[in-house]
Amino acid sequence: MDLALTESQEMLRTAARTFMEREAPVDVVVSLQKAESSLEPGLWRKAAQLGWLGILIPTEYGGSGDRLSDAAVLYEELGRGPLPGPFFSSGVLGALTVLEGASEEQRRRLLPGIASGERVLTVAITEPNASWGPAGITLTPQGKNGGYTLNGTKLFVSDATSATDLVVAVRTGEGTSDVSLLHVDARARGVTARRLPGFLSWQCEVSFDNVEVPRVALLGDANRGWAALTRALERALPLLCAYIVGACQAVYEKSVLYTQTRVQFGVPIGRFQRVQDHVVRLVNHLDSARWTTWEALWKLDTGRPAAASVHMAKAVASEAYLEACNAAHEVHAGMGVLIEYGLAAHTQMSRTLFHFLGDPRWHKRRMADALEW
Amino acid sequence: MDFEVTYTEEQQRFRRDVRAWLEANVPASIQRAPVSAEDNYQRYLELRALGRKLGAKGWLYATAPAKYGGGGLDVDHAIILEEEVDRFDLSLPPYYDSGGRLGSASILVWGTEEQRQTFLPAIYKGEVRTWQLLTEPGAGSDLAGVRMTTAVRDGGDYVINGQKIFVGSDNGTDRIWMIVNTDPKGKRHENLSWFMIDATLPGITVRPMELMGTGGEGGTDSGVKQTVFFDDVRVPAFALVGGENKGWKVATTHLELEHGGGGRIGRNRVWDRLLRYCQETKRDGVPLSQQGDVRDSLADIYIKAEVQRLFGVRNFWLTYARKPKSYEGPQLSYYRKTTGLWMTGAILEAVGPAALTTDPTWGSAGGFLETQQRNGIVSVHPGGTTDIQRVQMARRIGIGRPTREAAGSVHAGEA
Repeated sequence: MDLALTESQEMLRTAARTFMEREAPVDVVVSLQKAESSLEPGLWRKAAQLGWLGILIPTEYGGSGDRLSDAAVLYEELGRGPLPGPFFSSGVLGALTVLEGASEEQRRRLLPGIASGERVLTVAITEPNASWGPAGITLTPQGKNGGYTLNGTKLFVSDATSATDLVVAVRTGEGTSDVSLLHVDARARGVTARRLPGFLSWQCEVSFDNVEVPRVALLGDANRGWAALTRALERALPLLCAYIVGACQAVYEKSVLYTQTRVQFGVPIGRFQRVQDHVVRLVNHLDSARWTTWEALWKLDTGRPAAASVHMAKAVASEAYLEACNAAHEVHAGMGVLIEYGLAAHTQMSRTLFHFLGDPRWHKRRMADALEW
Repeated sequence: MDFEVTYTEEQQRFRRDVRAWLEANVPASIQRAPVSAEDNYQRYLELRALGRKLGAKGWLYATAPAKYGGGGLDVDHAIILEEEVDRFDLSLPPYYDSGGRLGSASILVWGTEEQRQTFLPAIYKGEVRTWQLLTEPGAGSDLAGVRMTTAVRDGGDYVINGQKIFVGSDNGTDRIWMIVNTDPKGKRHENLSWFMIDATLPGITVRPMELMGTGGEGGTDSGVKQTVFFDDVRVPAFALVGGENKGWKVATTHLELEHGGGGRIGRNRVWDRLLRYCQETKRDGVPLSQQGDVRDSLADIYIKAEVQRLFGVRNFWLTYARKPKSYEGPQLSYYRKTTGLWMTGAILEAVGPAALTTDPTWGSAGGFLETQQRNGIVSVHPGGTTDIQRVQMARRIGIGRPTREAAGSVHAGEA
C-alpha cells in the first residue's frame, strides 16, 4: 500500500503547476470565459509541445502512452484553473474512443494528429433528450451512394466549436445498443457548431444538414460503437474526475485563504464556526472525490475490474464539485460572484460537468448494475 | 498509488497459519447474539479467553513493540491479522478494550521506561481489559474542563475523588485509564494528569447507565456505559503517566487516535447485512434490491460507506507510512458519525419497520439493523461530538485560531 504519488508524478505535477501559474492564471481563465471557442491557440501549442495532448496515446501512434494515473496528475492541475480547452474532449475521450472503436488504419490516420494538437476531435453522444445511455441515440444516418447522409442534432457536445473532427454516435439498428461511430469532418459542408448560451461551459449544439459522410468514416464495425464507447468512457471518466478533484482543490484553497484574510467584526471570518462549517463541508466533498477517483484509477491501471468504481467516482465527483462551489459561495458572499475573482468560472464548470457524460443519479444506477445487486 | 497491500510468499504463509489457528481456536458459539445478561457475560469470558490466546501469540496487539509484550509485527502482518479476524466478525482486541488501545499508545509516547514495562505487557497479552475514563457530568465536549474528579498527592500516593460518566462497557474492567484534575486553581490545560490504575481498588463504585444503545463487546464501540464513582481511592504515584499537570499533552496522543487518526481497514458489516436482506426480502413480489427507490437508497448508502472506508484507508496509510497529518483524523470521525446518523434514516426508509424490531420472525438481518438504528444515533457523541470534530478540523486547516494547530503524535519517540 502506498498512497503517495511516484517521483515522476511529482515532477509532472510541478511542471504542470508551474505552467498553469505562468500561462493560465486567474485573469487568463476569466478572460477566456466568453470566447465562442474554448481553445486558445498559444496555450494549445505549448501544451502539445509538452506532450500533454498525447499523454494517453500509445507511442506507436505518436503519443507517450502514459498510465491513467500519470495523466490524472496532469488533469488535476488543469482543473485548478479551471483551464478551458478541449484537453479532455480531444486528448482523453476523443483519443480513447478512436483507440477503442477504430480500425488500425483509422487509428494511424487520426491519433498522431490528436497527439500533436493539429486535430481536435470531440465525441458527440447525447441529443436533445439529454440521455447518456444507448437508447438516447436516435440520430440515424441515411445510406447514400455507399456512404451516409446525416440530418439532425447532437447536443451538449463539449468543445465542438474548437473541433476539427467529430466522432458522432449514430443509430444503425433496432437493438438498444445498435450504435455506430462515424468520423465526421467538423468543417464539412452542413456541419454547424454553436456554443450554447447560458450557465454552462462550452457545451455545444452540433447540427447536421445533409452532411455527406463517406463509407470509410465508419469507425470499426457497424453496431459495435456503443461497446467501444463504453470501454473508452470507463477509462476517460476518471480523468474528468481528476480534473474535478483539482478544481475542488483550488476552490478549497481559495476559500481557506479568504477565511484567513477577510476581516469582519474585527476578526478573520474563519474564526466563526458557521463559516468553518462551509469549509469543512467543502473539504469533505473534495476528499470524497479525490479518493474515489484515485481508487478507480488504481484499479484501471492494475487491470482490476473497475466499472463500479468508475461510476461511483463520477457520481461522487460531480456532486462534490457542485457542492464545493456552493460552500465556497457561502464563504465568499459578494466577492464570490464577482466574475474577475475567478470562483464563478468554477461554479459554471461545476454545473456543466454535473450532467456531462451522466449525472450522479445516472452513474449511481450504473454502479448498482455493475455490482450486480 | 497502490490501494492494496501486496503480500510476499512469507506473508501469504502467515495468512494461512493465522486462518488455520483461528479456525481451530475461535469457538463457533462466540458469534452468537447473547440471549440474556448471564449469556452476555459468558460470551464476554469466551472473548477474553480468546484474547489471552491471541495475546500469547503476539496477535492481540500485533504492531506493539515485542519488548513490552506486543507482537512486534509490521503493518502488513497486522493487516493480515485484522482481515482474518474480520472473517469471524471480530476485531482486535475481540472485546471492548478502548482504554488499553488508547492508553497503551499514550504510555508508549509519554510513559517512563519503567511504566512501559509495568503497564504494557498485561494489555498486550490480553491479561487485563482497560476502560478509559474521560467524561464527567460537567466536562463532556469540554474535556479540558475536567475538575470534578481530582487527585491529591499524599506521601507516595495520590488520592482520587469524584465521578466519571458515559464510560466503559458491559461486564466490568480490570484497569482504568483516566484523566483527573490535579490543580483546581491551575490554568486550563495545565491542571490535568493521567493515571493508569487498578479497577479493583477500594473506593471505586461502578453503576450502570440505562442508555438507548445496545451491544458492547464487539470491538471498538460499546453501547453500554457506566457511571464510576471514586471515593478516596488511593493509588501509587507510579500510576501517574506523563507528569503532574502534563495531562493535556498526553491527551493529544489519545485523542488523535480516538478521533480517527489511526485509520482503519475493513469492510462495513452493516452494509453486507443490509444488501443481503434487501436481496432476500420481497415486497409486493419483488426483491427490495430490485425496486427502483430502494436501489437508489442502497446506492447512496453504499457510496457513503465506501467513502468512509477510503478515508479510513487513507488515515491508516498516513499513520503507518508516518506521513504528516492535519485534519484527516477528525474528518474520518466526523464522516463516520454523520454517516451513521444519516444511515439510520436511509435504512429505515429502504427496509421499513422491519429495521426497528429484533423479533426473530419479523425483524431484519438477525436484529443487526435494529442495532444500527440505535447505535447510529448513540455513536454521535463518544470520542467527541460531530461539532467537536468540526472544530478540530477547522483549527488544523488553519482557520479556527490565530495559529494553525498540529495533529497529535501517535508514534513513540515523536513527543
